[in-house]
Amino acid sequence: MAGYLVRRLLETLLLLLVMSFLIYGLIGLMPGDPIDLMVSADPNLTAADALRLKALQGLDVPLPERYWRWLVATLSGDLGYSRLYARPVLEVLGPRLLNTLLLMGTSLALALVIAVPAGILAALDPRGPVDNTINLLAFAGFSMPSFWLGLLLIILFSVQLGWLPAGGSASIGESGLLDRLRYLILPVLTLTLLTAGTFIRFVRAAMLEALREDFIRTARVKGLSTTAVVIRHALPHTALAMITITALHVGSLFSGALVVETIFAYLGMGKLIYDAILGNDYNLALVALLLATLVTLLANLLADLAYGWLDPRIDYGG
Amino acid sequence: MAAEGLPIGRRRRFWRRFASHRLAMWAGWLLAALVLAGLAGPPLGRAFGLDGEAVNLFGRLAPASLAHPLGTDELGRDLLLRLLEGGRISLAVGLAGALLTALIGTAIGLAAGYAGGRVDALLMRLTDAIIALPLLPLLIVLAAVDLTKLGLPAALVEGGLASVWRIVLLVALFGWTTVARLVRAAVLSQKERDYVRAARALGAGPWRIAVHHVLPNVASPVIVATTLSIGNIMLTESVLSFLGLGIQPPLPSWGNMLTNAQELIWQAPHLAVWPGALIFLTVIAFNLLGDGLQDALDPRGDTRLQ
Amino acid sequence: MGRSWYATILACGLALLLAGAGQAAPDRLTIGMTQYPSTLHPNIDSMAAKSYVLGFTHRPFTQFAADWNLRCYLCTELPSLEAGTAVIVEHADGTRGVRTTYTIDPEARWGDGTPVTTDDVAFTLEVGQHPDTGVSNAEMYRRIVDLEIVDDKTFILEDEKLSFRYDAINDFRLLPAHLERAVFEADPKTYRNRTLFDTDPTNPGLALGPYRIASLDSGGFIALERNPEWWGEPPAFDEIVIRTIENTAALEANLLSGEIDMVEGSLGLSLDQAIAFEARHGDRFQVFYKPGLIYEHIDFNLDNPILADHRVRLALIQGIDREALSQQLFGGRQAVAQTFVNPLDWIYTDDVPTYHEDLDEAGALLDAAGWTEWRNGIRHNAAGEPLRLTLMTTAGNRSRELVQQVLQSMWQRIGVDVRIQNEPARVFFGETMRQRRFPALAMYAWISSPENVPRSTLHSEEIPTAANSWTGQNTPGFRNARMDELIDEIEITLDRDERAPLWHELQRIYATELPVLPLYYRADPHIWPLWLEGVEPTGHLAPASLGVESWRVRDGG
Repeated sequence: MAGYLVRRLLETLLLLLVMSFLIYGLIGLMPGDPIDLMVSADPNLTAADALRLKALQGLDVPLPERYWRWLVATLSGDLGYSRLYARPVLEVLGPRLLNTLLLMGTSLALALVIAVPAGILAALDPRGPVDNTINLLAFAGFSMPSFWLGLLLIILFSVQLGWLPAGGSASIGESGLLDRLRYLILPVLTLTLLTAGTFIRFVRAAMLEALREDFIRTARVKGLSTTAVVIRHALPHTALAMITITALHVGSLFSGALVVETIFAYLGMGKLIYDAILGNDYNLALVALLLATLVTLLANLLADLAYGWLDPRIDYGG
Repeated sequence: MAAEGLPIGRRRRFWRRFASHRLAMWAGWLLAALVLAGLAGPPLGRAFGLDGEAVNLFGRLAPASLAHPLGTDELGRDLLLRLLEGGRISLAVGLAGALLTALIGTAIGLAAGYAGGRVDALLMRLTDAIIALPLLPLLIVLAAVDLTKLGLPAALVEGGLASVWRIVLLVALFGWTTVARLVRAAVLSQKERDYVRAARALGAGPWRIAVHHVLPNVASPVIVATTLSIGNIMLTESVLSFLGLGIQPPLPSWGNMLTNAQELIWQAPHLAVWPGALIFLTVIAFNLLGDGLQDALDPRGDTRLQ
Repeated sequence: MGRSWYATILACGLALLLAGAGQAAPDRLTIGMTQYPSTLHPNIDSMAAKSYVLGFTHRPFTQFAADWNLRCYLCTELPSLEAGTAVIVEHADGTRGVRTTYTIDPEARWGDGTPVTTDDVAFTLEVGQHPDTGVSNAEMYRRIVDLEIVDDKTFILEDEKLSFRYDAINDFRLLPAHLERAVFEADPKTYRNRTLFDTDPTNPGLALGPYRIASLDSGGFIALERNPEWWGEPPAFDEIVIRTIENTAALEANLLSGEIDMVEGSLGLSLDQAIAFEARHGDRFQVFYKPGLIYEHIDFNLDNPILADHRVRLALIQGIDREALSQQLFGGRQAVAQTFVNPLDWIYTDDVPTYHEDLDEAGALLDAAGWTEWRNGIRHNAAGEPLRLTLMTTAGNRSRELVQQVLQSMWQRIGVDVRIQNEPARVFFGETMRQRRFPALAMYAWISSPENVPRSTLHSEEIPTAANSWTGQNTPGFRNARMDELIDEIEITLDRDERAPLWHELQRIYATELPVLPLYYRADPHIWPLWLEGVEPTGHLAPASLGVESWRVRDGG
C-alpha cells in the first residue's frame, strides 16, 4: 500500500514535469510576443528599446534555456512575478484559487445532491416514464452551450426579475457571507445545471449495474422491499461510481468554469489561466495550469485509494 | 450504420430493441432530417437563386417573411440558409471529430490491449495523464499556436476550412481516451477466448486477428461512445467560438452564429434563439441516440425491476 | 411544528438572499468597462483602462482636453515662445532644440499632503532615463537632454528636437519621490515589480487627482474615494467604482439590472449594440456617440503587384459603398473618411479628391489595368491570374468581421475575389502587421491625438524591415518623396498659419495616392444615466475621466 502510494506520487511528479515543459513550449509557439505588440502600437519605441524590454523580461534567450531557468528558480521556491499583474505569482493565484474552489465545491456538492436521488429513481424504473423524464432532463442539462445558459439566467434573474446580481464576486465595501452568497447563486446554478446531468447518468448506470448483481436479486427474492434493497445493498455499491465521477469532474470544472467566470465576471482560476495564456504570462500560466493538473491528479489518486477502501477486491500489489 | 459487423440474428434483435426505444427513434429521425437539410439545403437554395452569403445592407434584421421564412441576420442574409450552412459545418465538426477520436482511440486501445506489458503500461499512463489535463486551457493554447512554426505547410494552415480542421484535430487529440480504455478492456477480455486462440493456432497474424475477430466484438461500446461524443464536440466548438477561437467567419457554424447573436439579443432575439435551439436539440438527440444504441447493443439492457 | 419552522427559516433566508441590491446611492457612481489595467504605474505600459483610472487619481502635467486644446493640469501655464517661457536652442549641426519652463501649481500636493516639488520631476526623469525600468515612452525621456531646477516649483526642460508641439509633456507623469525613490534605488531592475503603485495601490500618497484608490480586486473592480488633499474643484461623487466585465452582452445586462450606472465608450458596448440599446432604453440612459480620432481603414500592401497599380486601388475604393455601410450598419454615427484627418481636427481640409461608389468607373479602371477576362464571376488578367486579394483583420472583433463580409460581397460585384483571413489581435498586430506579412489588405484602426504628425505611418523611413528590427508603422510600404518632405517640414514649422497649407497638401497627396483605403472614423458609444450631467468624452487618447470635476447629478434627477 505504501509502495503503491509512493509510486503514484512519483508518477504525478514526473507528469507535472513533462507537462510544464510542454506548456512552456506551447506558449512559446504562440505567435506575437507582448513586446512585439507594444512595438507595433507605439511609434516611439525603437529597435533598441524593444531589445532592452525583451532582455528585461527575459524574453531574449532561447526557449529551452528560458525553460531551464524557470525550472531551476521554481524548484528553489521562487515562482517569480506575473507579467500581467506585476505581482508575485502566488499573490495573484491565491484569491483566485479560493474563489474557484468555492464555486466548484458548491456546485459539485449541489450536483451530487440532485443526482443521487434522481439517478436512483431513474434506475428503479428503467425505460419507464420516470426514467424517461429524468433522462431527458439530464440530457437537457448538459446539452446547452454554457455561455448561453449563463446569459439566459442573467436575463431572467437579474434583468427581468431583478432578484440577483448579474456578475462580480461581492458588493463593493461589503464582506458579509450573505452578500457573497447572493453573488454565488447564478454561477453555481449554471455550473450545477451543466454537471448534474452527467452525474445523474452515472448514478443511474451504476445503480442499474448494482441491481443486476446476484446478491441483490437474492435479497429481493428473500422479500426485502425495494427501498430496503436500494438503501442497504445497492447504494453502497454505487458509491464507487460516485467517487470516480467526482474525481474526474474536479479537473473539468477547473477549466470548465472559464466560460461561467467570463459571463459572470467572477474572478476565478479558469479566467486567470485563460488571460495568462493569451497574455504570454509564462510564470502565471504555468503555475496555474500545473496546479489545476495537480489537483486533478490528486483527486484521482484519492478516488483510487477510496476504491480500495470500499471494495476490498481491488489489490494494490506490484 | 450502427449494426455493422453484428451477426444477422443479433442485427434483427438490435433493430427491435432500438425501435422500442421511442426517444432514440425520434432523435434518430431528427438527426437524419438535420443532416439531410444541411447537405441538401445550400445546393437547393442556390438552385432557386438564393445565396446564404449574399449581403443586403438594406434588409438587415428583417422579421420572418415569405422570402425569408426565418427572417434575416445582421447583414441581411437569409437566416434559414445560414442555419443550414452553419448546421452542415457544426455537424461536420462533430462527426469528423468523433470519428477521428474513435479511430485514434481504437488504435491505441488495440495496441495497448494486444501488446500488453510495457507498451500497455505506458499507453495507459498516457491515457491517465491526458484525462488529468485541464482540457479547455490546453485547447486555447493549441488553438492559438502558429502551426507553420511546427513545419506544416501554410496552404493547409491558412485555407478557408483551416479553422474546421484545427478544431477537429484538437478535439481528437484529447478526446480519444474513453474509446481507448473501452477497446483495451474489450481486447483483454476477447484475447483469451477460444475462437481467438483457435485463429491464432491456425496461423493468423496478430493484425488479422485484431481486425477480423477482436474488432467486431468491441464495436458496440465504441459506437455508443462515439455517438455520445458527437454532441460534446459540437458543444466544445460553440465554447471555442465564444472565446473567439472557433470557426472563423465568413464560414458560419451554429456556435459562432450564437456567439455573434449575444450582443443583439434584445434587438433580434430570433438570431440567438434558432442556433441556440438547434445546438440544444442536436446535442440532446445525439445523446438519446447513443443511449438507445447502448440499450439495443447491450444484451442485458432489458433488465427490469418489477 | 418542526416542519413549518424550517419553512419559515428557509423563506426568511431566501428573502434576504434575493432582496435586491437597492438603488445605487446617489453619492456613488459605478462605471463598467471591458478591460482591467495590468499595472497602475503611470509610466509603465500604456493601455486605455489604466489611463481612464488615472484620469481620476493621477493628473498629467499637460494633456489635450475635451475641446482638443492642450491644457495644463499640474502646471500653471503652458510654455510659449511668445512669452519667453520657451527658448529655441541652435545646435552646432544646424538642427534646433528647445528649452521650456514649467511651474508646478503651488497648491499641488500628493494625497498624503506632501507638496509636489521639482524633486519629483527630477526623480521621474531619473526613472524614465534609466535603461532597465521598462518605461513605455522611452523616446520622450531620451530627448530630454537637460533638466534645470530653478526652485522648488519651477524647472526647465531641454528637448533636443524642436517641434510645434514643444509645449506638451503629456507622457511625463510625475512619480512621488518621497515614496518611490527608496523603492527604485533599492534595485532599478526589479522596480517595475516592486513599485508602490502595484504593491500598495491604496497608499494615499500616490494620489494626484480628485480621487484616490480606496480598495481594489485585481481583475474585478477598483473603488475610488475622494482625495481629501485635492486642491482643485471638488468632484460631486463621494465614491466612484470602476468594474470590469469583459463580455459585452453581460456588460449590457449589468447596465440594465442597475449594477453599473454608466459604460465608458472606448471600452464598452459595440456601436450597433449601443444603437439598439438606445432605441429600447433611451428613456433611462443617455447614449452619446463621440466621433473621434479613431481611424478605421484598410492598408494596401503596396509591394503586392496587383495593388502597386494605382488604378486597382482607385477601382477598389469606388467599388464599395461606404456611405451605405456607415448608414445601415452604424446608423450613420460613423462618418465616412476621406483621409486620416478627422474633420473635427483644425488641420482638416475638404479640398481633396473624394470617392463615391461608381461601379462603371471601377470596372473601367480594372479593365484598363488589364483585368479584363471574366471567369466564374472573377476577373483575370492576360496571364490568366485571378484578381484575388486576401483581406485580414483581428479575429473576434464583431464589427470588423461584419464590415469585412459586406466589403467582400461589394467587391464581388466588380469581379474582385476577396478571401477573408483573420487572426487573433496578438498575432495580427504582434507579427503579421508588424512584419508586413499581410498579403494584400488589412483592416484595423489608428488612434491618435489632435494634430498628430503621421511620421511613423507615412514616412518612407518608417517602413518596417528586418534591418530596422521591424519598427515603424508604415505598413503599406508607402514611399513618396514629397510626403517625406512635408512631414519633416510640418514638425518644425512653429507657426500655425504656416503649417496649415502644408497639412492640406499632405492630405491631398494621401487622398490622391491612396496608400490606404479610408473607411470611417469610429464613434465610441458612451452611456450614462439621464440623472448624470457634465460628462464630456474627448474622442482622442485622453480619457473623459480628466473632466470628472464637472460630472454631477442633474437637478431634480
